[in-house]
Amino acid sequence: MFSFIVRRILWTIPVILIVSSITFLLMHSVPGSPFTRERALPAAIQKNLEAKYHLDDPLWKQYIDYMYGFLRLDFGPSIAYRSRTVNDILAQQWPVTATLGGVAFLFAVVMGIPLGVLSAVKQNTLIDHGSMVVAMLGVSIPAIALGPFLIWIFALKLKWFPVATWGSPSHIVLPALTLSTAYLARFARITRASMLQVVREEYILAARAKGLREIVVNLRHAFRNALIPVTTIAGPAFADIVTGSLVVEQIFAIPGIGKYYVQSIGNRDYPVIMATTLLFALVIVLMNLLVDISYAMLDPRIRYS
Amino acid sequence: MAFHTKKTRSDDETVKAPPSRSLTRDAMRRLMKNRGAVAGGIILLLLIFAAIFADFVAPYSATEGDILNNYAAPTAAHPFGCDFMGRDVLSRLLFGARISLAAGFVGAITAFAIGVTFGLISGFFGGKTDNFMMRIVDIMYGFPTLLLIILLMVFFKSSFSVSGVAGAGLRGVLSNLDRSMGGMFFIFLGIGLTSWLGMARLVRGMTLSVRNTEYVESARAIGTSRTRILFRHILPNVLGPAIVAQALQIPGFIQYEAFLSFIGLGVNPPTPSWGMMLSQGYLAMRSHFHLVLWPALAISITLFAFNFLGDGVRDAFDPRQTR
Repeated sequence: MFSFIVRRILWTIPVILIVSSITFLLMHSVPGSPFTRERALPAAIQKNLEAKYHLDDPLWKQYIDYMYGFLRLDFGPSIAYRSRTVNDILAQQWPVTATLGGVAFLFAVVMGIPLGVLSAVKQNTLIDHGSMVVAMLGVSIPAIALGPFLIWIFALKLKWFPVATWGSPSHIVLPALTLSTAYLARFARITRASMLQVVREEYILAARAKGLREIVVNLRHAFRNALIPVTTIAGPAFADIVTGSLVVEQIFAIPGIGKYYVQSIGNRDYPVIMATTLLFALVIVLMNLLVDISYAMLDPRIRYS
Repeated sequence: MAFHTKKTRSDDETVKAPPSRSLTRDAMRRLMKNRGAVAGGIILLLLIFAAIFADFVAPYSATEGDILNNYAAPTAAHPFGCDFMGRDVLSRLLFGARISLAAGFVGAITAFAIGVTFGLISGFFGGKTDNFMMRIVDIMYGFPTLLLIILLMVFFKSSFSVSGVAGAGLRGVLSNLDRSMGGMFFIFLGIGLTSWLGMARLVRGMTLSVRNTEYVESARAIGTSRTRILFRHILPNVLGPAIVAQALQIPGFIQYEAFLSFIGLGVNPPTPSWGMMLSQGYLAMRSHFHLVLWPALAISITLFAFNFLGDGVRDAFDPRQTR
C-alpha cells in the first residue's frame, strides 16, 4: 500500500511535465502577444516589455525558467495585471473557486446519495420513479440553461438571493446549486444502481437470515458496499465540479480562478494560463489518487502491492 | 420489505422471453416497452427532422431580422418572440437544432475515430507499444479537459479563422472549411481531440480480450494475415459495444458546443447556436425572459431525450443492469 502511494505520487511528475509542456506550446502558438493593443505600441516599448517578461528568450528557455519557478512555487508576474503576481491572483481567486466547488460537491453528496438509497429501498414505487425522473432532469439541464433560470426565479422574481457576483454566504447558494445539480443526479443514479446490485449478494441474504433488522441490513451491510462505485465517481466528480466552476463563474460573474482563466487567455497572460492549468491538473491527479486509496479502505478484498 | 424475493422487471422478461428470439430483437422489444426511451426516441426523430428540413419548416430566416421587431414579445406571427436584432426565435431554434445535433454526432464520430484507432493499435500490438500508448492516455487523463478545449478553440480561432483573407495551403483550406460551416469545423476538432481517451481505453481492453479468443487463434493458425485478423475478426467484435458507449457521450458533446458558444468561442455569429442564443438572451433576461426560456428549454429537452434513449438502449442490451 505504501509503495503504491509513493509510486502514484511519483507518477504526477510526468503528468505535470507533459500537461505543462502541451499547455505551454499551445498558448505560445496562439497568435498575438500580451501587448497587442488596438493602437500598436512603439517598437522600442514593445521590445522593452518583452525583455522585461523574458518573452524574447527562446521558447525552451522560457519553459525551463517557468518550470524552475514552478518548483519553487513561484509562478511569476501576471502580465495583464501589472501590480499582481500570479501567486497573488491564486491566493485571492483560488479560495473562491474552491469554496464554490466544495459547497457544490458537499451538496451533491449529501443530497444525491440518500436520494439514491431511498430510490433503491423503495424500488419500483412512485418515490423511486419520481426521483429517477428528477435525477434524469438534473443530468440533462446544462449549467448555462439552469443558471439563468435559477437567477430569474430566485433572484429576479422572488428576490431571495442576489443576482450575481460574490461576497456573502447568500451569494453562494444559486451558483452552488447550478454547479451541483448534474452531480447530485449522477450520485443518486449511481447509488441506486449500486444498491440494487449489492442487495442481491449472498452476504445480504446471510445478514437477513441471521435476523438483522431491515434497516441494519440496508445501511450497515448493503450501503457500505454500495458506496464503492460511488467513491469511484466521487473523486473525478470533485475534480469535474471544481473545473466546471469555470462555467458557473462565467454565468454568475464570480471572481474565481476559472473566470481569470478565460480572461487570461484573451489577454495572452501566459503565467496565469499556465498556473491555472497546472493547479487544475494537480486537483485531478490528487483526486484519482484518493479514489484508489479509498478503494482499499472500503473493500478489504482490494490490496495494492 | 424483503429484497431478495422481489423480481425486477428485467428478471421477469428473461423468464418470459422465448428462446428462439435473437438477442437484438429481444433487446428491441425491451426497448419498446420502456416508455421513457420511446418518448426520447420520438423527440429525437422530430429534432432530426427539424434540423434537416429547417429551411422548409422554419417560418423566417435564422440570420436576417427585422430591426423594428427587436425584443418583440411572443405574438401569433412570432410565437416565440424575436431577439435583440428582431430575428424570429422559433426559426433560430429550429436552425440551432442543426448545430447542436451536428456537434453531438460529428463530435462523437471524431472522438470515436481517434479513440478506436488508438485503442485498437494499442491492444492489438500489445507489449511495449501497448504499455507506452496507455501511459499516454493515463497522462492525458490528468489534463483538465474544459481548460484544454478552451485553449484549443482560442488557438484554432485566432490562428485560422480571424486571419481575414484566407491564406494559401492547409491553413487556407481549414480556414475556409471552418468559415463555410459557421465555425463548426473547429468545434468538431476540439471535441474530437479532447474526448477520445475513454474510448481508447475501452477499445484497447476489448481488443486484448478478443485477441486471445479461440477463433482469432484459429484464424492465425490457418495463416490469416495480421491486417485481415485486425479488420475482419477483431474490429467487428469491438465496434458494437464501442458505438453504444460513444452514443452515451453525445449529450456531453452537445453541452460542450453550447458552452463554447456561450462564452463566444463556439460558432461564429450569426450562426444560430442554442448556446449563443442563451448568452445573448442572458444579457437581456431581466426584461425579456423569453429569450432565455426557449433556448434553455430546447437544449434541456434535447439532452433529456438523448439521456432517456441512451439509458433505455443500455438497459435493453444488458438486462442485468438495473440502473
